Amino acid sequence: MGDLFSTLTSVSRALDAQRYGLDVAGQNIANVNTPGYARRTVDLIALAPEAPGTAGRGVDVVGVRALRDRLLETRLTNEMPAQSREAAMAEALSVVESALGKPGTSIDANLQKFFDSFAELSEMPTSASHRESVIIQGEGLAAAFSDMAGRLESARLDADRAARGTVDDINSLVERIAALNVSIGNASSRERSLHARDEQFDLVRQLSELVDVQVLDREEGGIDLSIGNGRSVVVGETAYKIQVSSTAPNGHAALSVNGANITSEIKSGRLGGFLQVRDSNIPDYMSRLDTLAYSVATEVNALHSAGFDQTGAAAGTFFTAPAAVAGAAKGMAVRPALAADSRLIAAGSTTDAGNNTTARAIAGLREATVLNGNTATLSDGWGQLVYRVGRDTKTATDERNSRQEIVRQIDALRDAVSGVSLDEEAMNLLKFQRAYEANARFFQVIDQTLEMLLQMSGR
Amino acid sequence: MMRITFSSQYRDSSAAVERTSEALVESQRRVSSGKRIERISDDPTGAAAAVSERNAIAQVDQYTRTADNVNSRLNVVDTVLSDVIEKLTAAQSVATAGRGTTATAAQRTALSQELAGIRDALLDDMNTTLHGRYLFGGAAVTTKPYSATAPATVPSYAGSTAEAMADVGNDRSVTIAFNGRAITQGTDTQDLFQSLDALITAVSTGDNAAIGTGLAALGRAFDRATAAQTRVGTDMQVIDAQKVRLQQMKQSGTDRLSKLEDVNMAAAITDMQQADAAYKAALGAVGTVSRVSLMDYLK
Repeated sequence: MGDLFSTLTSVSRALDAQRYGLDVAGQNIANVNTPGYARRTVDLIALAPEAPGTAGRGVDVVGVRALRDRLLETRLTNEMPAQSREAAMAEALSVVESALGKPGTSIDANLQKFFDSFAELSEMPTSASHRESVIIQGEGLAAAFSDMAGRLESARLDADRAARGTVDDINSLVERIAALNVSIGNASSRERSLHARDEQFDLVRQLSELVDVQVLDREEGGIDLSIGNGRSVVVGETAYKIQVSSTAPNGHAALSVNGANITSEIKSGRLGGFLQVRDSNIPDYMSRLDTLAYSVATEVNALHSAGFDQTGAAAGTFFTAPAAVAGAAKGMAVRPALAADSRLIAAGSTTDAGNNTTARAIAGLREATVLNGNTATLSDGWGQLVYRVGRDTKTATDERNSRQEIVRQIDALRDAVSGVSLDEEAMNLLKFQRAYEANARFFQVIDQTLEMLLQMSGR
Repeated sequence: MMRITFSSQYRDSSAAVERTSEALVESQRRVSSGKRIERISDDPTGAAAAVSERNAIAQVDQYTRTADNVNSRLNVVDTVLSDVIEKLTAAQSVATAGRGTTATAAQRTALSQELAGIRDALLDDMNTTLHGRYLFGGAAVTTKPYSATAPATVPSYAGSTAEAMADVGNDRSVTIAFNGRAITQGTDTQDLFQSLDALITAVSTGDNAAIGTGLAALGRAFDRATAAQTRVGTDMQVIDAQKVRLQQMKQSGTDRLSKLEDVNMAAAITDMQQADAAYKAALGAVGTVSRVSLMDYLK
């Protein structure tokens, strides 16, 4: 047989439960803009009756849950690295693209002026002013190649610097995630760890923008992280930071975790993007530039050395002979002795003052197919480099845009499960508020009933 | 049915604003610069093709410049050769007048002096310079072709027999430094001046046989000079024809370059207006997104 006093107890528990519901709705509304937040919901169960003659013991709060979809969150951490890699590449490559100069103003323009100067020399091989002009254009061309090589090198350094900055960010995120593992492990109940899990999810999301990371759930609720080929960076409460060391000859960063070099294992995320530009794209462009510079210098020198200069002696080279293809662009220069004395320019193939065969031959290099197994001209070589840079940049930009769409859609799906809807929370407020009012009313009714009972027996 | 949450509304509309504003900025850039290809990545294939076109146009420009410069030089050569031919004709008539038995000794002396004068004029012609370079010394343009060391001393050709050419087109070149010896001597055993000196002596002494030989030599020199002038004339025609061709090539190259790089202005302006409208629409949509929520209806 139940009694009114125990009813009072269950009513107070019911009021508590409705207040809890209001609390949860309030918490959701407060965190509507918190990144990584998953909306909470309160789980209520009805309590079974203990004594016969009672309907039940009211309601109890089982707990508060955060609504997450693990599948969608995993998808997000899988898709973000690819998108941010393309974004990082597009950023870094557009610097290279602008370094190449606007169409018609760069190395191609210098090449034209160089060939023009030799053509003009062929009209009047004895003219000192035409000879000076050849030296000026030759120096201009050499400087253009050298500057371009320098710009590519500094673009590479920029990518390296960006990669180092990214590593710093990764390391600080990894530390925070490990610290959260501790607080999740130490939490006395699951409810108390919900906010830590939210924060951890947000940190993992930020991390997946920077590098492709594999996530493993731990039994006690935290996560383990690894990058590259399964190199652990977070195991429980321990964080293994990425170490950066500078390698010769250009001081580029090499990355290692626990002593193992992982530089070539990072394929995705912003870090992967910057490393790819630094280690793959720009070196390709530099070697093409070097090949072009080497060809220009070698072809011109071959024709020039076969001629005679104005002093009647057999001519030397026009450009300083490049030692090898690598570095040919950076080291391109007009031979100093020739630059100082325009008489040393060979215009003719004989000692006759007016012989212009050599000058005509060098001017004719403009249309000569000397590259790519004799299928392309020197300016075609430049065009191919231009095409490559443009195509790589365009591909990165297009890929970034299409992957951004995918990430957006997954975000939308995740939001549909975990996001806070103000309309819904407003309805919850109403729901729990009215329930509280009704329970309070019931309390009043029981109270009045008790009073009547006491009055009855009190007389 | 999908739940629409607070943050997803803003995310979608901010994405739309971002996209439309980027498109608007891009279309504005095209209209103001008139260029399709501002950065290489706008059209990599087009940018590479433009490099090629520029190369071809630069070559055409250079050939045009050379053609103009060479043309003025050939005009001078032509003038000189006309003078040479005129002088040779005059020499022939003087020598003919000295042939036969009717001339007196005094007349012979006068005729031989006239011939000497013609010889000196021809010497000057062969030593013509332009901008300080000898035109008839072959490739040795700084060497005087005929330096007479003393009057009546036969100077020998000091220039080169190799000529110099200039390129006015692919596989089209014209001579710019002429082998004087080909005009003065050609395949003869003596050159023109040696023949003239012999003729002067023959006229003053009345040696008819020698005058006959001299006249024959003058005749051959006349043929050689005329042939040289014809060659120059042909080269000048080549230059004229070539300049027309170069002009056409430049025009078509410039057209192709324009197609690659320049924007169709009418289409670009239309695109810009559409992009502007889309941008305004996206902004308007953001405004309507969260104007009303359930919170407004709760008392």
